[in-house]
This record gives sequence, C-alpha cells and structure tokens, in this order.
Amino acid sequence: MSAVLKGGPTLRAGRGRRLRVRASAAVLVAVLAAVLLVPLLFPLDEQAVDMANKLHAPSAAHPFGTDDVGRDVLLRCVYGLRVSLLVGVVAALAATVIGTAVGAAAGAAGGRTDRMVMRVVDVFSSVPHLLLGIFIVAMFRPGVWPVVASVGLTHWLSTARIVRAEMLSLRSRDFVDAAVSGGASRWRVAVRHLLPGVLPQAGLAAVLMVPHAIWHESALSFLGLGLPTHRASLGNMIQSARGTLLAGDWWPTLFPGLFLIIPTLAIASLAGVWRERINPRRRSELML
Amino acid sequence: MTADPHPALELSGITAGYERRAPVLRDVSLTVHGSEAVGLLGPSGCGKSTLAKVAALLHRPYAGTVRLGGEPARGWRHRAPRAQRTAVGVVFQQPRLAADPRLTLAALIAEPLRATGRGREATERVRELADAVGLGGDLLDRRPHEVSDGQLQRACVARALVLRPRVLVCDEMTAMLDASTTAALVTVVEDYRQRSGAALLAVGHDRTLLERWCDRTVELAGAGGGTDGEEVRSAPRAPADTSAG
Amino acid sequence: MSQDTATTDGTRRPLLRVRELTVRFGMRHGRRIAAVSDVSFDLAAGECLALVGESGCGKSVLASALLGLLPANARTDGSALLYGPGQGTGLDLLAADEATLARTVRGRRVGLVPQSPAAHLTPVRTVRSQLAETVRELTGARGRELAAVTRAAAERAAFPVDHLDRYPHQLSGGLAQRAATALALVGDAPLLLADEPTTGLDRDLVERTVDELRAHTDDGRGLLLITHDLAAAERVADRVAVMYAGRVVELADAGDFFGEPGPRHPYARGLLAALPERAFTPIPGMPPELDALPDGCAFAPRCTRASAECARLPAAEEGVACHHPVTGARPAVGRREGSEGSKV
Repeated sequence: MSAVLKGGPTLRAGRGRRLRVRASAAVLVAVLAAVLLVPLLFPLDEQAVDMANKLHAPSAAHPFGTDDVGRDVLLRCVYGLRVSLLVGVVAALAATVIGTAVGAAAGAAGGRTDRMVMRVVDVFSSVPHLLLGIFIVAMFRPGVWPVVASVGLTHWLSTARIVRAEMLSLRSRDFVDAAVSGGASRWRVAVRHLLPGVLPQAGLAAVLMVPHAIWHESALSFLGLGLPTHRASLGNMIQSARGTLLAGDWWPTLFPGLFLIIPTLAIASLAGVWRERINPRRRSELML
Repeated sequence: MTADPHPALELSGITAGYERRAPVLRDVSLTVHGSEAVGLLGPSGCGKSTLAKVAALLHRPYAGTVRLGGEPARGWRHRAPRAQRTAVGVVFQQPRLAADPRLTLAALIAEPLRATGRGREATERVRELADAVGLGGDLLDRRPHEVSDGQLQRACVARALVLRPRVLVCDEMTAMLDASTTAALVTVVEDYRQRSGAALLAVGHDRTLLERWCDRTVELAGAGGGTDGEEVRSAPRAPADTSAG
Repeated sequence: MSQDTATTDGTRRPLLRVRELTVRFGMRHGRRIAAVSDVSFDLAAGECLALVGESGCGKSVLASALLGLLPANARTDGSALLYGPGQGTGLDLLAADEATLARTVRGRRVGLVPQSPAAHLTPVRTVRSQLAETVRELTGARGRELAAVTRAAAERAAFPVDHLDRYPHQLSGGLAQRAATALALVGDAPLLLADEPTTGLDRDLVERTVDELRAHTDDGRGLLLITHDLAAAERVADRVAVMYAGRVVELADAGDFFGEPGPRHPYARGLLAALPERAFTPIPGMPPELDALPDGCAFAPRCTRASAECARLPAAEEGVACHHPVTGARPAVGRREGSEGSKV
C-alpha cells in the first residue's frame, strides 16, 4: 500500500465551468464595486446637463461619450445600474417571499386548498405580466416603489409553482409519514420537515429572478411608465437615446445596453452553477 | 402482562388503495392482540405495505375500520388524534427515505418527543435508545448521508420506539439489511415487546424470517384479477374479538 | 490471498485476476476512507463468485472500481486484469483510460446487471427501443437484422417478446430485472457483474433472478455476484468471498462455506449464524468506520476469539485472514438449534 496511488478517472465537468464561475464572479464584483464606490468617490452630478458637449463620441474625458443633453454616459450607466440593481434585488426578494409563502401553503395543505390556490395562480399567469405590471404602476405616481411593487406582485407565480411542486414531492416521502406517526402537527411537518427542503430551490428562484426583474424595470421605464424620466435608469437611458441611434450616434444606446446584459448574464450564470450543485443527482461524492 | 380484553390492533373489512375503482386491498381483516407478534406475508404489489399504512393511521381506507385497543380510529394522518397516531410506531423499508436528510441521528430519534412537547426527556431517552439499538460514539451527531443503511435503520427503529408505542408496525424493516443487522434489529424489537407487552405487525416477504420472528404469520395473496385472493387467513378469533366488533 | 480453485501458473487462465485492489476516498477535512483494501481474487469462465458482506463493507465500491465508475475523489491501487482471447497480458481495468473502458470494456467485455432495474431503464422509452439502441451500439446491426437481434437478445434473458413494447413502469419487478439483464447480455460480455441484483425482490423472484444469472454462468460466462443476501449466494455461487471493513476476510468454496465444515473466519461464522434459519443471533457491535480502521484485525473488537495477536493485521492463509480461524469439525452452527452456534 505504500505505492503511489493512481488517480481514478476524473470527470471532465471541471474546467469550463470553473472559468465561467470566475468570470461571472469577477463581473459581479466589478459591478458591485462600481455601483457602491463610484457615487462615493466621484460625487459628480449624473444629471448635470452640458449642452456645449452634447453627443460627443467616446473620448478620454468621456469614455462612453455624452448623450443628447451632454450628460456623461459612463456616469449615468453606473447610476442607472445602481437603480436597476436595487429595484431588481428588492423586487426579486418580494416576489420570492410571496411565492414561497403561497406555494408552501398550497403544498403543505394539499387537497382542495391546493387546487384552489393553484387555480388563482393560473388565472394570474394567464394575464401577460407586463400588462399587469403596467396596470399596477399606472395606479401610482412614477417612482422606485411602484416599480418594485409592480415587479414583485407579478413575478411570484413561478416561484409559487416551484415551491409547491417541491413540497408535494417531499410530502410523499416516508419521512413525512414517520413525522405524522410521531405526532407532529401539520404546522410542524410543514415548517420543520418540508420548508427546509424547498428553501434552496426558493433561494435559487430568487437569484434567477434578479435579472428578470431588472429587465422588467427597464421595460417599464422604456415604455415611459417606470422611473421618472430624469432619473438615470438603464431603461430610461435606452429609451431617450432611441432618436440619436437613428442619427448614427451609437454610444448612448450601446453602453446602457451592455450594462443591462452583462451583469444579468453573470448572475444567471452563477445561479446556473448553483442549480447544478443543489441538484442531488450531481452530489455523488461517495457511494458506499 | 395485563389481560386487556381488547386486541391491540384490529383491522376489519379494510378496502384500500390509491384508486377507488381498483383498490389493492379488498375487505381484509386482521387482528393482533397485545404482546402478540404477527407476520404478514405476501408477494410484492399485494398491498401489504398499504395495509401497514392503514394500521398506522397513515392511509385512509375506502371502507373498513381500524381499532386500537378497542377504540375505533377517529381519523387518518393529521386528523387522527395525536394519542392514537403515536400509539403505533412505524419502521419503513428504506431508511434513506424514512429519515429527514437534515436531521442528525440524535435529532431524528428525538423528533417525536419534540413534536409532542416532551423535548425535555429527549437527551435521556435518546441515550437509552441509542444504547438499545447499538448506536455509539459520534454516530448520533451525524446526518443520514454520513452513515450506512444499517446504522440509519437502527436510528429509525429507535425513533419508532421513542414514544413507547403499544403497537409496532415494521414494513419490510430488514429488506435492505445484512443477516447480522437483521438479527440485531429483530432482537431490539423483541426486547422492547418483552418489556412493554406491545403488539407487533411485521410485514415482509421473507417467510423464513417472519416464521422465526413472529408468533404466527398470515398471508395476503396477490391482488391479481380481483378474485377472492385478498382474504387473510387469520387465526381463530378470540371471543373478545367478536364482542368488540 | 492464495487461490484454491484457480491456478496461477497460466495453464488455466482466469477471466479476471484482481490483485491487491485498494480504493481510498479523499474527503473534506483530510479524512481518508479506506473503502477497499488489498482485495485479491480470481474469477474463471463458467464460475460464479459471490462477494458477500453488509452494506458499507466496500463491495459496491469494488464493483465501481472494476467498471471505472468511481467518483473523482477516489484513488486506486493494485491491479484488476481482464483476460480475453488474444490478450496474453490482460487489460488492467484500473489503469485503463475512460475512452478504452467506454469503447471496449463496459457492455462488451463486462456486462453490468444493476441494483435497481427500474432506475436503470429509461422511463420514457419502451424496452424494445432501449434494447435496440444498445444492440445497434454494440453490434452495429441495422434495419431488419437489428429487429431480429433485438428479439434474440430479449429471448436470451427470458424476457417475453410480446412485452417488448411496454414501458418500464408497466413491467413487474421480475420482468424489469430481466429487461436490465437483457441489456447487460447484449454485448455478449464474458464477464457479468451483478451488483445487488435482488434487493427488494420477493424470495421467489430472488431465486428466479439468481437462477437465470446462474444459467448465463453455465453458458461459460464468469459471474461476480455482489450481494448481502446469503441465501441467494448459497443458491448459485461456486465460491464465496466475505468482505468485512473493506477486506476479503474469507474466500472459500461455497459448498464448504454453507455446508460442512462451515466458514472458518469468526465474522463469516457469525454472519451465517445470524440467519433466521440458523441461530438468528446477531454479531454484537457494529463494523468499524472506514475512516478509522484499527491497525490490526478490523473484526477483533467484536470477536470472541480475539487475543493480543489480533492487534497485528492477519495475513491471508488458505483463504482466511484470521489469527484464530475455526478449524476441524464443524461446531454447533446448527440449523435452528442452540445458541452455541452464535458464540463466534
């Protein structure tokens, strides 16, 4: 046994995935640093209008150029992403809490309650959620919170479905029967035995929801229904730059677009890796 | 042993299954007296596990009654009063599925105590039962994925005994286990029955094992074709049996 | 470990020759699990070797090692030579790369009969389509020939041809097992590896399944049957290897082992005595953890014969790795009698 042990055949899942994780993590760290530090380090006014320098192409002074009223596109991108991330994270959390509560209640109760709750979910799902979201923001004055509410109230449906399905599959396991036989109440079975099993799924759903919520916010702003037009948000920026794009000035559209796409891809990619990890079939560390 | 006039477990006219039109059990009756061990034999798919779940008040039959100590079951699953539910201890075939993957073995064994508001007894009872089933060392601090099937099943047996049930239902308890662990767990169950006078319904397909283990065995024939196959050949009925019915 | 039945001088070459096979798992926090240690045995064509032991003794890890299916944190040592026609030196399964194993070994030279056939079969495809796919992969048959070969493959495993168009969930446990066996037999592999093929089956079905496996052995294949079911092993095995805590503690002729004079290793004796048709007495205690094995005999803490000598690892002599093997006439490990038999 003193001989050098030979390596077993290794599974080749490793390298590409590790690269993806590192790149995504780097992007997210950079994004977070930018949105948190730039406003502190460079307390510039992102709304400062400078008509003398309008629509400058990217240069040393303005790396991303300036927009049609001379505002710095880089600075506005950072502020816009800040707002979009805030809206995205808060809205995704709200949607997840609602979805988990509804899904867990339906899944734990089962039977008639479950059927009724899920029909309500179906009805909500049958309305395009952008339409529903527009309806909600239209009831309030433009601002951050109506947008959060609009996204949160329209995006819990899929989480509710995931959580409920997971609860139902756990409910039929023998360990739930054992708990019932051991005198556990409905509440205890739900909270102590079922819910902990679905939380990783719900957490994953929340992370996957963040990019979705960011895009939703941008879509609402693009339609002029989201944040007030002077607030820098990625959707607002793309919307107001539409005219200049036709004149051949690409930078006021391209950079906010990239700021929208790249961080959301990074989040989605990390969430994908997480999903693989919590999938029990892939957790075969050792089979004895 | 106290002379209880009522059988510990009495199943009468049970029709049960997962589809009302095609029940796996039809009109099955079975009586287990206090401190009696009954083996229920049958091929796979004959509904013997379903009958075990009905006996443990975990599955509602379409027809028929279950009596525990002469008292009719007043509901199923959560609708059964806690005292009735916990009067029956259950051990399942696959310990992996029967153990909440997030609980340590100690927490697993203590769970019924905590669920019934008797958490204060947990430390002592867990130690007692761990000794009885032979779980020593740091095994109690481990989670199910860190122990073998045999060790996990020992914990599941301890969990079934923790509330001192009057009836034990063992559904294929040893199907996944080697000979020595099988003998060890049967010994644990028998020791408990000796001390407590509990009744046992052991479900399985291993005739040699159940005939060695139990006072008598009954056979549940296959459900094929809906003939008179589901009749349980039961032992002669005790007089108390008929009066209770 | 010496071999009684298989010669080692090359006159009668075994099908599989395993020497000092060792598997270690590296775990978090520097834990190392000794799943399999120094296992050696030969398996000849037309022979059935039953590898018995309790769950967690390392027997399934051994099977995975032979198929090159260990997870990435496993390290192996020793050799497992698979001999075939025109291969004088044999192919070392432990050293072979994944491409070789996938292309030339699994299914073609080693057929795996899985533990749970229901999980082994794809639920959304019929047995015929799965069987045909394997036949096409392994034999290259096409069209009309493919259909014929597929039917023949089903018949070889006694799978009823009129059930070929059923989905796995429409099959009984026995038929699902036969479908899985049919898949294992397609490549006409000379070595069959059955990993707990009878778990959860009824006694009748267990007997039928192992009898069918035995029939394939009698056709000239070698069968390594991994099981915790001693009755199944007794029914079909030519030889028995008993594993305890990752080591083979006894390798014996099945007739001697289950009949007279009985097992010689105290653990093997205890295991037999625990059977319900024998003394039905458990071996006290539990097996040691595989990450904290003692230096000496791993069974010593549970053994009534243990002495100071047992702190030293016993070498395998005449198939038994024990300092105090049971010798001579069989003591009272009687069928259904006295507790004396449980003393070991």
